[in-house]
Amino acid sequence: MTMRVTHRVATAGVVGGAIVLLALLALPVGALVLRGGLDGLRELGGDRELQQSLALTAIAATTATLVAVALGTPLAYLLARDRMPAGALVGALVELPLLIPHPVAGIALLLAFGRASPAGEALARIGLGVVGSPLGIGLAMLFVAAPLYVSAARESIARVDERYEAVARTLGDTRWRAVRRVTLPLAGRGLSSAAVVMWARAVSEFGAIVILTYNPKVASVLSYDRFTATGLDASLPVAAVLVLLALVPLLVLRSLRTNQARAERAW
Amino acid sequence: MVIVRGLSSRAGTFLLHDVSFQLASGAWGIVLGQTGSGKTTLLETIAGVRRAIAGQIVLRDEDVTSHPIEQRRVSIVYQHSYLFPHLTVDENVGYGTMDTRFVSDLASRFGVDGLRGRPVASLSGGERQLVALVRALARHPDILLLDEPFAALDPRRRIQVRRQLRLMQRESGMTVLHVTHDFAEAGTLGDLAIVLEAGRVIQIGTPTEVFRRPASGSVAEFLGAENVFSGTIQRTATPTSGETDVLHFTGEGIALVGVGEHAGGAGHAVIRGSDVVLAHARSARTSARNVLDGVVEEVLFDGMIARVAIRVGSTMLVAVVTRSAVDDLGFAPGLAVVASIKAIAVHLC
Repeated sequence: MTMRVTHRVATAGVVGGAIVLLALLALPVGALVLRGGLDGLRELGGDRELQQSLALTAIAATTATLVAVALGTPLAYLLARDRMPAGALVGALVELPLLIPHPVAGIALLLAFGRASPAGEALARIGLGVVGSPLGIGLAMLFVAAPLYVSAARESIARVDERYEAVARTLGDTRWRAVRRVTLPLAGRGLSSAAVVMWARAVSEFGAIVILTYNPKVASVLSYDRFTATGLDASLPVAAVLVLLALVPLLVLRSLRTNQARAERAW
Repeated sequence: MVIVRGLSSRAGTFLLHDVSFQLASGAWGIVLGQTGSGKTTLLETIAGVRRAIAGQIVLRDEDVTSHPIEQRRVSIVYQHSYLFPHLTVDENVGYGTMDTRFVSDLASRFGVDGLRGRPVASLSGGERQLVALVRALARHPDILLLDEPFAALDPRRRIQVRRQLRLMQRESGMTVLHVTHDFAEAGTLGDLAIVLEAGRVIQIGTPTEVFRRPASGSVAEFLGAENVFSGTIQRTATPTSGETDVLHFTGEGIALVGVGEHAGGAGHAVIRGSDVVLAHARSARTSARNVLDGVVEEVLFDGMIARVAIRVGSTMLVAVVTRSAVDDLGFAPGLAVVASIKAIAVHLC
């Protein structure tokens, strides 16, 4: 009898806790979509500033993601296979931006690539100004979101047994050919999920971008700008569109993860 | 030719230590040892998958100790086949070769030609092992490393594949180093047996030598000897029968006369169950030096053979006889029997 009561109390506690957290997560998003969702979608057709802002956001996030994939995949491989000197330190350095408050990340980028810095000056000399430019937006997105890609890619590569690579090498491949022909395809779904997570994180970035590049405005900055300039109602459609667009990578991600789990079970 | 000299290697916290042996060109070496004894680590170090921390690996008269995997020109087949799951069977077997005719011939020899268009995920464990074997052989390797590659095959298929592989090896002169837990496989295929224990080589010899004269009690137990007794060994003053001395063993409530190269002191007596001859009564005509009275405790059948456990004093002795011998002689629990064992069948180590 006592055990049954304890079991019921425990079950109620688990279910109740889950419901409270779900409500905390869903309520603000639901309220935003309900208040501004339809208006946002309606305005999307006629609001040129919103359209440009969304296009800029998508282009900058995609570019940052492609750069992270190109440069981060080799780094993730080296970290996953313990082939990097001081790998633990490098791994910690890569993940450090995840722990820095994003406005602080923006300030750090400003110091490193602002007009007064040697790097910023050199870039400006070849016409690549970082502050107040799409390049700055991409850089900020890369800085705050690439660590997510590298960490997830590293895990994904580490899940591929190194012996697959070894067998490919006994069959004549060099190390890098084996990585290209075997390891990367086997880690492919995990790498794609990592890229989608990074892209979604880059799209939602605000703190670092607003310090480095207020104009041209990405969607998150536009939403903030309209909120501060004209109030809550004006910012709602933009904010709601951003939430609705976030569903796209979310669905892609879920599909990739399901397929990955299915594939790994078959190995 | 495979020459390994003083080889040490690490796999996590496990250490393979100071391993040395030599396998002639075209020979078939068997690596035996309990789980965790370092068999796979040895193969992987020879293949270059693991780095040697000391020692030397010479393949085809060339020191390859610091060569990358692909330059060692060895093929390896693991128990977990490591087929590339994103490729079809056909793409797997053709991964390292352009010789499609040879691949077809191999596929047909090993009975995987019907699987070639299939995805890897649809194969059974045994089919995967066969495909992995064909993939490795398709490279025309002159050194083949096998890590329990037939473990998932059914017994009939295993015998066929073993025979086919042995045939290929004789045709091509390929050198094979083969990890197995299957003693029948070791006896059938091996020219040289290497026994590992806790990362060290504890015995090297022909499979017959290793099985008949194990280096220690633990090797004997691992190799499936039915009777292993611990005790004290005493040398007799006068050697007889040429190379080996006659020794006296006492321990675990049994006294035996045996042979071996033991200096005396603590040791083991090892007797194969098939060397224990059972009868209803003592015979004056027997030449066996060990004749023991006992009572049958248990008869366990295993296919066409039976293991007869006999209580001899305070200890148990196991005899392996045919099922028909059990029927003909009426061995059953409680029956008094006489167990005869020739001195040469009592290996003291």
